[in-house]
Amino acid sequence: MEVVFITLSAALAIGVPALATSWAQSRIGPAISASLAEKPELSTTAILLVAIPETMVILGFVVAVLIMLRAGG
Amino acid sequence: MIIPMTRARLLGPRERLDEVLDAVQDSGLVHLAEPVPVGGLRPLEMSPQEERESRHLQDLVRDLESVTNLLPSTRTGAAGSPAFAAWARQARRLRRDVDRLDARSREIEEERSQLARFEQFIQAFRGLLPAGNGARTHSYHLVLRGEDEEAVSRLRDGLAKVIGDQFMLETASLPTGERAAALVVHTPDAPRVERLLAQAGIHELPMPARYAGQTLGQVAPELAERRKGLDRELEDLAVRRRELVSAAAPELARARPAVEDRLLALAARERAATTARSFVLEGWVPTAGFGRLGRQLRDRFGESLVIEAVAQEEWQGANAPVVLTNPRLFRPFEAVTRMMPLPAYGSIDPTPFVAVFFPMFFGLILGDFGYGAVLAVLALWLRRRGAPGSTLRAVAEILGACAAFTVAFGLAFGECFGDLGRRALGIRPLLLDREESLMPFLGLAVAIGVVHISLGLVLGIVNTARGHPRQAVGRGAALAMLAFIVVALLAAFDVLPRGFFTPAVVALLLAFPVLVIAEGIIAPIEFLSTLSNVLSYARIMALGTASVMMAMVANRLAGSVGSVIVGVLFGLLFHLVNFALGIFAPTIHGLRLHYVEFFGKFYSPGGQEYRPFSHWRHTGIKAA
Repeated sequence: MEVVFITLSAALAIGVPALATSWAQSRIGPAISASLAEKPELSTTAILLVAIPETMVILGFVVAVLIMLRAGG
Repeated sequence: MIIPMTRARLLGPRERLDEVLDAVQDSGLVHLAEPVPVGGLRPLEMSPQEERESRHLQDLVRDLESVTNLLPSTRTGAAGSPAFAAWARQARRLRRDVDRLDARSREIEEERSQLARFEQFIQAFRGLLPAGNGARTHSYHLVLRGEDEEAVSRLRDGLAKVIGDQFMLETASLPTGERAAALVVHTPDAPRVERLLAQAGIHELPMPARYAGQTLGQVAPELAERRKGLDRELEDLAVRRRELVSAAAPELARARPAVEDRLLALAARERAATTARSFVLEGWVPTAGFGRLGRQLRDRFGESLVIEAVAQEEWQGANAPVVLTNPRLFRPFEAVTRMMPLPAYGSIDPTPFVAVFFPMFFGLILGDFGYGAVLAVLALWLRRRGAPGSTLRAVAEILGACAAFTVAFGLAFGECFGDLGRRALGIRPLLLDREESLMPFLGLAVAIGVVHISLGLVLGIVNTARGHPRQAVGRGAALAMLAFIVVALLAAFDVLPRGFFTPAVVALLLAFPVLVIAEGIIAPIEFLSTLSNVLSYARIMALGTASVMMAMVANRLAGSVGSVIVGVLFGLLFHLVNFALGIFAPTIHGLRLHYVEFFGKFYSPGGQEYRPFSHWRHTGIKAA
């Protein structure tokens, strides 16, 4: 039973931030695409803005790994 | 680094302004500044005649640009004595003549394609075509869309209803996928048949105007002859076009730089401030070139022109243009810096740091000997394709550095196409095994983050020390607090002796008020963001682990497929996908770590590009 909870915790640790990241990127992507149509010189800003929410899922992945390692998984 | 600039001031008699501008343009060193209206000095405005000339020259540039693609070579020739009016006439005449030839060529092409369609039709009914259009019969040449027989039977039924069995219908397939139909009916039935065809939406193949009234059988022998004639005419037109362009090319290639130079000179005149008898020109010159400029101008104008360096206190550094200059090894990475607004004059050029850390992060994430070798080959190929100084060449050289680090870290991690090297060649990790040692890899990533962010804070201190000492103290306090937190954590985890823990915490508490006093109440929040910046480097470990896992999955999947060939193909495909991701993800995240985490600590954007007043140089690529 304990294994189930540990695995579920790790899955939630990465799954919830992944959903949050995808939601944030779904908002940023269209907005920055519209801006790029008018100002192509914003391409660097576009890359950065889309990459920023990925921090959430990356830190979620690290936490999931820590949960699994701590639990001896 | 950003090369130091000197603000030069040129003073001379007004009647020699144009000569001086010519000399300054020849030197190609001075980035002209806006005129400074002090005392009796007034900015020089264009006279109505000059405005008219400028408009005419701009029109001429447009005309020259419109014929640019016609000219056979990219050489623009040396600017000679200008003949603007003659050039304008010549450019317009060339454009008009070439347009006329092109229009005729298009007509011929259209007729050729129409003839080709007829020839297909004739080929389809070879031997069936009536020899002539008798007075008692009328023939139709139809094209039915689609290959289905249903359309033919529908047409046959329709005809039977309208005119009984008094018709002949033959069909054949065309190479275009359509169906050709030849229909012969009695002349009195023709109006009813045409109504039926119109209702059914079936179109007749239009007969070219020159064969109107004839049947296909009659025109068939003429078509081949006509096609040959058209081919000859097309060739003649191409030869005439080439001759026209070749005749005009040398003169028009010479025209462009002369016209552009004159336009630049007219624009440069507006940068002068004048009195009734004298002029003043100011601009920035790289300090290393100031002496050379002075000598060139003194040789040409002697005592009649005064050139002096404006004292630095009189001009603000923020207005000076910026030139980045770096050692050859670091120069390609200027492209990464230039993706952001240029750094302000007097601030730090981050290129050397980008040149070290960006490929390092890339290598840490991808970290695979095999992928690194493939990337190196790709970089070499791109380098051969890119001209010196081009963006493609810079990208290839950046990729080359990334490939070198990828190979190096691949050896350190003992990875060659994931675990393939370990299983097939017995390669062992020299530093750590990314598959097993997740915590040490995480520790390494965060430690790199601490070093990188600390370096950013140090650069921030250097950047702000002169103009904003309070900010410099604040950044120093943040740097000290970061160091104390690291020491306290290392002591807590027994990496350092336990005795370090308490002094580090006490020092942290003492540094905190210094931070708040120096940078205000918002400083603690900014410090928290600095800590989160450090943790952001965990992405190196996360992406690196994902990369190695993907490569291993590729190898396992390849091994689990029954057939060897299918397994190898499957593995190659998966590795290809992983390789593409392996280039994309480290690039994006490496850039992000630089632009957001690192640059945020010290970077001062706002520099303007150094654009010296010089002779026009063609940079576009022309099609022959």
